[in-house]
Amino acid sequence: MGTQAAISARGVTKSFGRLQVLDNLDLDIPSGVTYCLLGPNGSGKTTFIRAIVRLLRLDGGEMKVLGRPVSEVNEIYSQIGYMTQHKALYPDLTVQENMEFYAGLYGLAKQKRVERIEELLRMVDLLEHRGRLAGALSGGMYQRLSLACTLIHEPELLLLDEPTVGVDPRLRQTFWDYFDRLAGEGKTVLITTHIMDEAEKCQRVGYMRAGRMAAQGSPEEILRLAGLKPVLRLWLAEPEKDAALLRAEGYEIDIDDGVVQVRLESHALIKEILAAVSPLDMRLAEPRLEEAFLRLSEAA
Amino acid sequence: MSLSFGRTGVVALRVIRQLKRDRRTIGLIVFAPIVLMILFGYALSGDMSGVALGLVDGGGHAALRAHLESIKDFNILYLGSESDAEKLISEGRLDGAVLLSPGLVQVLLDASSLQISGAIAGAVQVGTSREQASLVAASPREGTEKEIPIITRYIFGYDLEMMDTVGPAILGLVVFFFTFINAAIAFIRERSQGTLEKFMVSPLSRVEMISGYVLGFSLFTLLQSATTLFVVTFGFGVPLRGSALTALAVVLLLGAGALVLGSFFSNFARSEFQVVQFIPLIITPQIVLCGIWWPLQSVPEFIRPFSYILPLTYAAHALRAVMLKGAGIGDILYPDLLALGIFFLIFFAAATLMLRREVG
Repeated sequence: MGTQAAISARGVTKSFGRLQVLDNLDLDIPSGVTYCLLGPNGSGKTTFIRAIVRLLRLDGGEMKVLGRPVSEVNEIYSQIGYMTQHKALYPDLTVQENMEFYAGLYGLAKQKRVERIEELLRMVDLLEHRGRLAGALSGGMYQRLSLACTLIHEPELLLLDEPTVGVDPRLRQTFWDYFDRLAGEGKTVLITTHIMDEAEKCQRVGYMRAGRMAAQGSPEEILRLAGLKPVLRLWLAEPEKDAALLRAEGYEIDIDDGVVQVRLESHALIKEILAAVSPLDMRLAEPRLEEAFLRLSEAA
Repeated sequence: MSLSFGRTGVVALRVIRQLKRDRRTIGLIVFAPIVLMILFGYALSGDMSGVALGLVDGGGHAALRAHLESIKDFNILYLGSESDAEKLISEGRLDGAVLLSPGLVQVLLDASSLQISGAIAGAVQVGTSREQASLVAASPREGTEKEIPIITRYIFGYDLEMMDTVGPAILGLVVFFFTFINAAIAFIRERSQGTLEKFMVSPLSRVEMISGYVLGFSLFTLLQSATTLFVVTFGFGVPLRGSALTALAVVLLLGAGALVLGSFFSNFARSEFQVVQFIPLIITPQIVLCGIWWPLQSVPEFIRPFSYILPLTYAAHALRAVMLKGAGIGDILYPDLLALGIFFLIFFAAATLMLRREVG
């Protein structure tokens, strides 16, 4: 994780007419991380991303992008990769030609261009389809090509609006591995998504609500902030008796339809619990970010 | 950010690749002008009766001669030599001539009227096949072996017909129309595909983007103007006294103006369908007021200033000067090329400014 913030926003506001879309928003995204911006529809995620690349002018507040005031962000467009929900591809060009076009736009030298196109098409599993027209690709393939085009110039800051929609789970994992690798190389990856599972793969998560940050931190911090703990579900021969026993040892216990549920302060306690009782079956339920955000937004 | 020819070239190459793959548009660019020209040509080439046909009879084709003489629409003038025939055709006093000599039939046609030329050529064809049939009847073996060769040659008349005066202007109109529509649609697509937004967040500047389009489209404008110029001159005998390159330069400048105008107006359309709605608004006034069909002097005085801000007025004037009077670049610099250049620059700036990065 780098020292300088890739993006820092202070008291950022934006309204469209009477609708306040960004409301005094504060946000810091350190460089060299994968950061997931979550939030319900209309919470201001896309507006915020568009403000970062200055497709929108802010009404107030301060924002810095890669250390530069947002008003100068056009000077560093070559360091930014921006993928919108429109895929920004030419359906009447082939996969290869789309890649070549974007490579040319960012002035990649010929040798570099060949290498990058090869590498990225392999990553998004489109190498065999390089001669096909983009318009003839399936939705998921189209999405993958769009991502590959966004990555072509090795940007320092990646802004990806819902990049994994329509991508199958195996490839999605490949994407996440790739994003982690980029973060490892010091690049910053900002992703918006509404899929909570995806957010859990990010190093840092921010939850937006009504134009403000409702919560931000690592997924573990968010869970802790919301007071959520892992739950061990135990199927026992004598649930009432064993529940009383565990309660006496200081555990937080619930009984739901004959299943004993123990809230764990830490995973290490599982061993001690199993020493005290002998379950017929058991299951560990990790807390979900979704639940954490619901709880946090209710509290807000 | 400094201007980069490399990035401009990348956009141009992409535009060419896209258009190249769009067969229907290519077809439209190449064949629509031909169809249009033929329609205009037929409509404007006058009526058919009283075709003045010269006949130089060197003997040997009695049946063909009899057939030609039997056609009521032909007024036949008997001539002594080929050079007489050529002279009279080029003076516009004959529509064509047939030269008969043993074993050969030559047809000289005035290329300025396709319809009349077609009628003469058709009559010769019919007469020749009759002659062939009678030969076969007389001596079956010899007759089938010997085809009667027909050599057709075009002579360009000097009398200006309606088509001659309209032809050069139509060349401009065709290019203006298709470039405007194609450019407006291309920019609408850049918006709806999200590529425009992506450009906004890239090192590509607005000037580079529009310049790339101008470059890429110019190739197709050239292709289109060359086809149209070919049809106008060879198909309809509109004279090309000046240089074809000068004519193409005028058309290229007009095409570039049409492109930036299309880009500018694409900001006011939300779909391809709405682009079509620009036709009566942008194209029709130019057709009516540019002086193609009737002289500018006959346009009512209060509307005439409007004629003088339309690019097609200058393009039509310049193309007529080049094609009919043999004007060179120097002769049309002022006011035509200057006006076309100013029009291009104004709308280049307007189109660039409309591609605004920031909104809200």
